[in-house]
Amino acid sequence: MLAKLKAATFEVLETMFYLFPESLEEGEILRSRGPFLRSSVTIAGPQAISISVQVPQSLARKMAANFLGTDEEEISQPEMEDILKETANMLAGSFLSKLEASAAFKLLTPTVQMLAAPEKNKKDPDKRLRFEVEEEVMELFVEKR
Amino acid sequence: MAYNVLIVDDSATMRALIRKVLVISGFDVGEYFEVGNGLEALEVLEHNWVDIILSDLHMPEMDGAGLVQELKKHEMWRHIPVVLITTEARPEVINPFLNLGVQDYIQKPFRPETIREKLSGLLGEARTTDASEIESCDF
Repeated sequence: MLAKLKAATFEVLETMFYLFPESLEEGEILRSRGPFLRSSVTIAGPQAISISVQVPQSLARKMAANFLGTDEEEISQPEMEDILKETANMLAGSFLSKLEASAAFKLLTPTVQMLAAPEKNKKDPDKRLRFEVEEEVMELFVEKR
Repeated sequence: MAYNVLIVDDSATMRALIRKVLVISGFDVGEYFEVGNGLEALEVLEHNWVDIILSDLHMPEMDGAGLVQELKKHEMWRHIPVVLITTEARPEVINPFLNLGVQDYIQKPFRPETIREKLSGLLGEARTTDASEIESCDF
């Protein structure tokens, strides 16, 4: 399952953001400064899960600038949040397509929150993906709902 | 010939992106109309001529399905081509929309040339912009 989510992540970042992530191994450390933005989308269905994407605000700004084709200085906080929600939505949609999931699985509206420190989800690293993107960390979490 | 385009998406940033993609695609757009849901789209259609509608699926107030159903009820609107721009491309999700009369769909993530190809095909006009020119655009 995580392999398909990883493939979806590469596809979304490369196609829509012109960013080229590299997978980080568990334990590989890359420092990022906060605050952080985390967007989550629930996939409702027989086995509901949520997919969250978490990035430092500086990376969210870079993503938004690439997405909209504008300068980073021109990006507003609502635009960063909107684009991170769209990212979570695209990741989940691409993930469902790759899984060939049935119509019983539906995407709900994504949410976004700002965090002073990154959430680690240490309990279950098998449900986490980490990437280096533009020398910053992007983390994805898969959680049962 | 310039075409009037109606973009229906509850995300302002996605609307901005689609608009930008249309520009760099070399698509000849007359007027842009942008709204956040199906109800607002119907209001635009009441007062303006629109050649093609690019619509999201999931929106508040009235979603993509509701919009298409309303369009099909009106003689003036039933022939306007509708293209869904959606994260959902599973046949189980898309086929009901195609059965409702939606002409085509574009799955996010997408490349600019995909939008150009779909719209050119639907509106029956060959475009002259070189695909490599689009790919090299920094947007």
